[in-house]
Amino acid sequence: MAEHILSESVVLRIAESTPEQEVLKAVASATSIPVVKVGTTGYPVLEPLVLLTKNGQTAFYTSCSPEEAAEIATTLDNGNLRIEDADAIVEHPPERPYLPVPDLWPLQTGARTVLRRCGWLRPTHPEDYRISGGFETVDSDTDTVMSAAHSVTGRGWGDAMTNTPVGTSWNRSIDADGDPAVVVNAHGSPGDRLLLESVPFLPLEGALAAAQAVDASDIIVYLSEADEQALECVTATVENLPTTDTMVHVVTGPDEYRAAEPTMALEAIEGSQRLEARLRPPTPDIEGVYSRPTLIHTPRTLAQIVHAASGASPTRIVTVRGDVQHEATIEIPEDGSLATARTAVTVDGVFKGACVGGQFGGLTPDLDIAPTPNALDAADLGTEGIISILNEDRCLVAHVGEQSRFARDENCGRCVPCREGTVQLTKLLREVYDGSFRPDDIEELLRVMQSSSMCAFGRDATRPVATGLDHFEDEFVAHADGRCPTGTCTTEPQHEVPQ
Amino acid sequence: MSSEFARDDVPPLTEAIQPGTATDPTVGSTDAATLTVDGHEVTLEAGATLLDAVTAVDTNEDVPALCSYDREDNIGPRSECRTCMVKTDEHGLVPSCSFPAEDGLNVRTDAVAATEARDVNLDLVLSNHNLRCTTCGKNGRCELQDAAIANDVAEPRYGVLDNRGAYEPIDDSSSFIQIDRNKCILCNRCVEACNDVQVEGVLRLEGNGQDTRIGFQNDAETMADSTCVSCGHCVTVCPTGSLVETGIVDAATLPVPGFTQKNSIGRSIEPSDENTELMTPMKQDDWSEKDGQTSTEAATESESEDWP
Repeated sequence: MAEHILSESVVLRIAESTPEQEVLKAVASATSIPVVKVGTTGYPVLEPLVLLTKNGQTAFYTSCSPEEAAEIATTLDNGNLRIEDADAIVEHPPERPYLPVPDLWPLQTGARTVLRRCGWLRPTHPEDYRISGGFETVDSDTDTVMSAAHSVTGRGWGDAMTNTPVGTSWNRSIDADGDPAVVVNAHGSPGDRLLLESVPFLPLEGALAAAQAVDASDIIVYLSEADEQALECVTATVENLPTTDTMVHVVTGPDEYRAAEPTMALEAIEGSQRLEARLRPPTPDIEGVYSRPTLIHTPRTLAQIVHAASGASPTRIVTVRGDVQHEATIEIPEDGSLATARTAVTVDGVFKGACVGGQFGGLTPDLDIAPTPNALDAADLGTEGIISILNEDRCLVAHVGEQSRFARDENCGRCVPCREGTVQLTKLLREVYDGSFRPDDIEELLRVMQSSSMCAFGRDATRPVATGLDHFEDEFVAHADGRCPTGTCTTEPQHEVPQ
Repeated sequence: MSSEFARDDVPPLTEAIQPGTATDPTVGSTDAATLTVDGHEVTLEAGATLLDAVTAVDTNEDVPALCSYDREDNIGPRSECRTCMVKTDEHGLVPSCSFPAEDGLNVRTDAVAATEARDVNLDLVLSNHNLRCTTCGKNGRCELQDAAIANDVAEPRYGVLDNRGAYEPIDDSSSFIQIDRNKCILCNRCVEACNDVQVEGVLRLEGNGQDTRIGFQNDAETMADSTCVSCGHCVTVCPTGSLVETGIVDAATLPVPGFTQKNSIGRSIEPSDENTELMTPMKQDDWSEKDGQTSTEAATESESEDWP
């Protein structure tokens, strides 16, 4: 095997997310040509995906069984490309550093910038990453990196600078007393998991650049203990990072939604068994992990910083799930539309609306919205990068009720508006089933939870209900009258609500 | 949970203490500041919070700041009850008890949104509080009662904890301190008094969501099985009738025939046997297993030296 994968003139790439790696094993034993495991493209619908590259041509074989893949490999061993069976063929320069995108749904959807190496490079091989233009930011001057940081806003609720330019945070850390640290918060988000599994050097390059900019001596990669593949991948990657003055640690936290909150991430990193939010201000970039000034960014944010430093336009990584046949993670330009994300999936049934922004996303009947913080905020939608498609069989009153109950059961228990507010909110929603729909009382509670909760958990937990009332109030009224328009809720009055 | 990012400079005595609460940053201003509250100008030293400014002037609206505790530096601000919300032009609504007193801030206690937030949050506290004041030993000297009266709470909008099935039994197992968790507002003062002031490491916060409660670091279910030394500091800081000295649990109850503090809740955990020692049995075991034995041996050695 050559030093990097791009110099191989004939190579078979296998992308499959199952841990058994059956296709990879079948192909490797069937041929003598190089076979490599690459990361997922973000589209499970295509997998197991076999890419056969020979003489500047790559054939795509989607949803391959181990037998089919072995047959392709055997034919190739005899000197032939089985072009007639391929789902797509694309021509490209021999040493193309990024996945050549064929006219193949859903790969051709959206833009591939941050994700362009996914499915093409071996995730943990530093030479593959370097030859594809990687690690340039590590050698860039600080001004370039700082100005990139000022142009990028934090992605996801696990980022301490959600929807705010991250450079501000870096300046605070530089000015603060103490030895700074950088936390890569990869807890819980599918977009971050994709980056860690398919192109882990990219967010780590961003973290190294950040550490150099603020003169941090430690980088801590933090992820859920449930993300075993990402953990394995990032641990191998850390060992292959270019040597710098920065130590890189990998720490896992519990598989709980709240554990992604930036200050709860710090608690988990410090080894606390019970996680609860910390007070702010001062913000963690002034006093964070073990009281050190600490930057907390998601892999998506750090990847954007690397791309911004090279002059690329910002994009958004969005995972589409819910009532769809296959989940998909797609990249769309910031000046594009969330409607594009919908075209990357097959909706199960008839589209009714979507929950935009993850667990505590906002409901909308229309996805034609730019994926920018301003546009999403104006529509009271979340920027989490997760869209759940809801089909016409979904009862939205039940949907927001479930999200409210999740908030009631999963909050950290520290502040009253979140701990007690979610209890009362869930009760108010249950009372709708008993014929008592009190929108003014619900909205008063939502306002106070939003304005006085300690962290984003309690603030965001209001969003599903608030947007549900905005767009689908008639469904609440119908339930109060004893009718569920979709027929999913029982029409029997509920008597479980304690007074 | 795995962690390879540990530090080795933990102060002595505290390394085994796990209060279950977050390690908050240092709150308060970094410099002296002059700001206005409801139009009154206030100048404060470095380290001050907005609540210091609010309490320094005659405000237009009452700010309960229920969970805050100003008599000891090691306790609070926990900033959990959010009945101290005020409005600032620069930062919107903020919790005054933990927000630094920044120079030039314009603070309003009477902004509509701030008043609404304080009122709703006070009612949310009451919604999970057993409001049987007439059988409560802290009747008349209860900070929650005072706040409710000062805020003219006639009928809390979310009701009160009045579901006998949901009550936790009163923990009356210790000879000195009684716990009634149905009256706890989770202000965390007792946990901080126990861990940060007394460095005893007995009490902790445990659970999350509705299950959040005061518990014991040795996983005991009752006060008697905890490692409590009955110092009583937790009782002195408790704002409500949740932690009360055993002898005075009925001290301030109103004489309503047939109603007592215990039958108002319905269930209680009684002491298993006669235990009048200051230390709980667990603490005595702890003591004799570790320090007790070692010190006896050391004493014997020194005795043989001193007395040939």
